[in-house]
Amino acid sequence: MRAKAHIQGRASSRVLMALVFLFLYAPILLLIVFSFNKGNSNIVWTGFSLDWYKSLFQNRLIMRSVYTTLLVSLLATVIATFAGTFAAIGFYNLRRRQRTVLNTVNNIPMMNADIVTGVAMCLSFVAFFSFWSRFAVWFNGLQNMITLPSRLTLGFGTLLIAHITFNIPYVILSVSPKLRQMDKNLVDAAQDLGCTWMQAFWKVILPEIKPGIASGALTAFTMSVDDFIISYFTAGSSSSTLAMTIYGMTKKRVTPEINAISTLLFITVLLLLVIVNLREVRMERIGRQETPRSRVISRQVTLFFDSPKGKWFRRGAAGILSVSFLATVVLLTSATNAQPVVNVCSWGEYIDEELITQFEEETGILVNYQTAESNETLYSLLKSGAGDYDVIVPSDYMISQLIEEDMLAELDYDSIPNFSLIDSRFKHMSYDPENRYTVPYAWGTVGIIYNTAMVDEPITSWSVMFDPKYAGNVLMFRNSRDAIGIALSYLGYSLNTTDEAELREAFQLLKDAKNRGVYQSFVMDEIFQKLEGGNAAIGAYYAGDYLTMLENNEDLAFVVPEEGSNWFMDAMCVLKDAPHFNEAMAWINFIASTEANLANMDYLWYASPNQEALEEYPAYYEELYEEELDQETYEIIAAPQEVLDRCEAYLVLPPDIRTLYNDLWTELGI
Amino acid sequence: MKNKLSRLAVPYIVWMALFVVAPIVLVVVYAFSNGDSGFTMENFSRMETYAVVFGRSFKLAFIATFVCLLIGYPVSYMISKEGEKFQRVAMVLIMLPMWINFLLRTYSWMSILENNGLLNQLFQRTGLISLYNSLFGTNLEYFPMMNTQGAVVLGMVYNYLPFMILPIYSVIVKLDGSLIEAARDLGANSLHVFRRVILPLSLPGVLSGITMVFVPSVSTFAISKMLGGGTELLLGDLIEQQFLGGAYNPQLGAAISLVMMVIVVVCMVVMNRFGEGEEQAVML
Repeated sequence: MRAKAHIQGRASSRVLMALVFLFLYAPILLLIVFSFNKGNSNIVWTGFSLDWYKSLFQNRLIMRSVYTTLLVSLLATVIATFAGTFAAIGFYNLRRRQRTVLNTVNNIPMMNADIVTGVAMCLSFVAFFSFWSRFAVWFNGLQNMITLPSRLTLGFGTLLIAHITFNIPYVILSVSPKLRQMDKNLVDAAQDLGCTWMQAFWKVILPEIKPGIASGALTAFTMSVDDFIISYFTAGSSSSTLAMTIYGMTKKRVTPEINAISTLLFITVLLLLVIVNLREVRMERIGRQETPRSRVISRQVTLFFDSPKGKWFRRGAAGILSVSFLATVVLLTSATNAQPVVNVCSWGEYIDEELITQFEEETGILVNYQTAESNETLYSLLKSGAGDYDVIVPSDYMISQLIEEDMLAELDYDSIPNFSLIDSRFKHMSYDPENRYTVPYAWGTVGIIYNTAMVDEPITSWSVMFDPKYAGNVLMFRNSRDAIGIALSYLGYSLNTTDEAELREAFQLLKDAKNRGVYQSFVMDEIFQKLEGGNAAIGAYYAGDYLTMLENNEDLAFVVPEEGSNWFMDAMCVLKDAPHFNEAMAWINFIASTEANLANMDYLWYASPNQEALEEYPAYYEELYEEELDQETYEIIAAPQEVLDRCEAYLVLPPDIRTLYNDLWTELGI
Repeated sequence: MKNKLSRLAVPYIVWMALFVVAPIVLVVVYAFSNGDSGFTMENFSRMETYAVVFGRSFKLAFIATFVCLLIGYPVSYMISKEGEKFQRVAMVLIMLPMWINFLLRTYSWMSILENNGLLNQLFQRTGLISLYNSLFGTNLEYFPMMNTQGAVVLGMVYNYLPFMILPIYSVIVKLDGSLIEAARDLGANSLHVFRRVILPLSLPGVLSGITMVFVPSVSTFAISKMLGGGTELLLGDLIEQQFLGGAYNPQLGAAISLVMMVIVVVCMVVMNRFGEGEEQAVML
């Protein structure tokens, strides 16, 4: 009876384990299965294909971030394993009290929340950078022999430092127990028998702690690969890891190329682990019956290393190893720096990517194209030092603010001849009245996008954005200016009001709607997926993006509400002290050309500021698609004057109102 | 210094001073300063407004930790009862998902949980939704699972469950079998053996598992954004918002981080009092 119960218990425990493993692996299997999907959906299976694997190797953004991830993880693991092992031995030989204190400090990065570690490191790097830039300016002023770079930014170096810092504790944690298990007298005995402490380390300590080192290194590498939060705060934007790229993508559309790369990584790791495990099993078997031959060889090798000649050989080998290691690091970093580069930061789905390739082929300048989520996020990235860009494409009001804070460089309009093609309506705009800092990129309006299959009335007013009738089906902007702007429009106030009471009223409107559950979520580019997939009925977003969504879901409709809305202009600017100023000019000139504007307009469905492009677009469309562009679509792209009359552009707000916006925004999230 | 080998610790001590201690000191400095780097307590006086976020984060993290413990303990125990080969494979299988970045796995959950996602499609096909509607007189087209607190907890449990299983397992597997035998010989039944021998001895593993699940859960920011819809901020989101998000205010962000850090440390200290185990359970 008892045996039967035992077997039953065992069976049920196996079932439970199977369920847990199913839970752990179901999402991963899903990722793998859909990497072979023909379509780009993660939900609907449309047939088998290997296309995503092919396009994966052409996707520079992903390949680059895989490269960064592997490089930083490997380097950090190697360095942390060395440093951690030595540190563990050092700790072990300290007095107990000192050791306790140091162990506590050592535990901080492991026990502390990742986000605190990330934020703390980010702050200290930025603090160091500002100290450095003051020092560099002083030093450069002192002499002309060496010019120190005055603008440091977060990048691969800071990312590596951060990874090493959070990896070392894991190495120490797994090496220390092995040291404690070791017989203390062994080291003393070795030293009594004439070993120097270096020899004692090589011959006595190292063999004892090897398993600990190996598992420490493995843990460190796993942590590095899996890390997102600390990298996010320390990597800056030009050296994003795979996790950061994925995070950027989850905000808009994740391409199945990501599924493909994770499948490849997963299979590689699986194979590696299988091989390691098989080898271990075999080693164990061999270990039991070690052949005399191999023993003789290993004895000879040991003897050679112990001889005085061997000592020099050993040192030489160590020297060569470290030099070649350093050389690889230098080569790898310089290889990425050799080509002229321009770092561009724009918005998601905001460029025809073929233009990037075209520009690179024409000029030989590599474009490092990044995206930010919103103007407010871009501002944070710039302020915190995480954004190491040359060219940015902020909107009107943010441009004024950046000019006000002296963060933009004056452009060299002589090297941007295409500026003359810009429609005169869009020159000398209020944000840059003398036109010294900007070249317009695209313009458009904000409106309501809704799913006609899920809404039974024609929508004309912002009121639906606050209507409990659509509870759980409305998507609201995740940035303060647009979200509060919609509420202001609905209430009939100016978008640029500085009246605190009006702003608080608008905030209360949003807050009440949120408390009633009107908003399914606050979104930026996630809106593409949610509206296209029919996961929400109503959302506020930009007109051009509506047309992109329409291609994937025909039920969607767009309206610029009767109360009026925001009319925006995004323009290209260059940051002060940008390291690639000339390349930036070339990029801006290229993008301002009529051909680029036509291509962009066709891809983005945002209106072009280039007069020729704006006028020629219907003809361009007809030639390309062999069908006429209907007037309605054209008017959604380039809003006609009577719509623009209803709309208002954002102006820069005084600092105290900006603080109020930030505070209200944070409070809305609570 | 005891002997020359202790010198090996010096480089790392310097490194820690620069990259562990100094950054945390800087967080404290930032938390007590305003934009013009003068001293202020204002950042903390605003903390009351964010009490809701603190409450929500801690609540969800507690639930997630509890669920992890509820699943993780039996699983670790059962694995440790299996043969050596099974154990090795099981450990690899538990570690393996960590190699696919957690963002991707969380993203995969999004396509499972969406209103038009895989689970809801499954429910529709199998008639579960119409059954539910006829039973409860509701008129649902789908079960709303995305953008709920439940989804966020699910994401936390999913991502951090291995952190619970690994330390508990590594303690249980090292338990001295003779203790259990002794207890049996002295007349204890299975329940007794578990309660009086196995559970107390595995407590260090449980405690370190709780720490390793609770800390990342309480401070996560990507999971809540992806599965929670971003309408209900968690602490991580709030902090991120002040640094790289839409409301730039690093001083306030530092203050929130500091308060969170202090609360977490207090929780840990209190918890570790219960299991006076000085030695930390080693991961892996």
